[in-house]
Amino acid sequence: MMLILAQSAGGEMGAITLSHYLFVSAAMFVIGMIGFLTRRNLIIMFLCTELMFQAAGLALIAFGRFHMNHTGQSFVVFVLTVAAAEAALALALVVLLFRTRETLSAEEWRELKG
Amino acid sequence: MDSVVNPVILYAAIALGGIGVLLALPRRGANPQVIGAGIAALGGGIVVVLLGLAGRDAGEGLPNIHFYIFSAIALGGALRVITHPRPVYSALYFILTILSSAGLYLILSAEFMAFALIIIYAGAILITYLFVIMLATQAPSEDQIDELADYDTQAREPLMAAGAGFVLLAVLTTLIFGGSQSLIPAGPTAPLDIADLPRSIERALIREDLMARGDSIVIDNYRASMQGPAVLVERADGARELVMVPDGVEVTNAQQLANDFLHNHPVTIEIAGVILLMAMLGATVLSRRQVMMEEQAKESQLRTLAARDSGADVGVEA
Repeated sequence: MMLILAQSAGGEMGAITLSHYLFVSAAMFVIGMIGFLTRRNLIIMFLCTELMFQAAGLALIAFGRFHMNHTGQSFVVFVLTVAAAEAALALALVVLLFRTRETLSAEEWRELKG
Repeated sequence: MDSVVNPVILYAAIALGGIGVLLALPRRGANPQVIGAGIAALGGGIVVVLLGLAGRDAGEGLPNIHFYIFSAIALGGALRVITHPRPVYSALYFILTILSSAGLYLILSAEFMAFALIIIYAGAILITYLFVIMLATQAPSEDQIDELADYDTQAREPLMAAGAGFVLLAVLTTLIFGGSQSLIPAGPTAPLDIADLPRSIERALIREDLMARGDSIVIDNYRASMQGPAVLVERADGARELVMVPDGVEVTNAQQLANDFLHNHPVTIEIAGVILLMAMLGATVLSRRQVMMEEQAKESQLRTLAARDSGADVGVEA
């Protein structure tokens, strides 16, 4: 890692392209997805959806910057709005579920599978 | 760009990242989290080197050292969010991810969104998460105070999830590596943007004494003269004159964003307000509902609390 930083400081590594941001965004999204699939704590699962929202926001801002307009940034405002609304509802739901079963485990709600 | 980036190395690096995440996920027994995180970092580092090589022929662009630092912190924090067995620490690492994402936004010259992100996410949403984590945690029973819940320490199907996730990442990266131009640095504000905001030009002209109170700008006649941007000013007596816009008049990011909102997406703001109102109502209705606890559960909880209280009293007396 130090090698990379030194090289980038020296300008050897070249410019940051849109691909760099898109790769960071994709990696963050995938990490969020893996977390959503593997963790069994309801709160952590919702935290992982926030991680995926975050990745989408980064991609939107990078694209907006790439095209030099502000539509990407405006869209991120709505992403934030939806994320806030989702967090409020999801957390209210989690509290309700916790009070019903006294546990945060997602496995407890297995019968919802049908 | 295909000649620079060898797809085999790329996929190998992504597979390495996948194996690292797989090892880092919490599981019972021997838990090589540090090794897993190291392997994931190695995979990510190789991809970054490849991206750097790919970007070398893209020409001059933005300074890049901050990008690497911020994205390394963001991805490391994200990895820790999904691997830490304690929910509170996960939430705190998520705040770290948010902060470094805000740093990336700053590099992308989205200042307003960067600070809005910190205020809304780190300030509001994550605090709500922390409240709920503390609200919805089982009272630890007496003999296992430090014991973690089973659903926190064991990942569900880690192999399948990591495989699926990193196949998705490989596909996305293949598409991304189609190549793109370097991001041009954000230069001085484009004349078009200034023309959208006649009021700020007017204020600057009045400040520089180029315009008196009774004068007005003829907006349709904004033009760029040979010396720079200029506007047509209509004097109080009806005469028209071309006045140069003084240096230093530029549009900030927040102004540009507000302009984009109010000109291009006026209805969506209303819709966002309605969404927030509905979420508020929904959250209130959901959390007001009374849950009938089973008698057994109530009794066991009472016993746990009583045991803890008596334990605390004994501790004080001793």
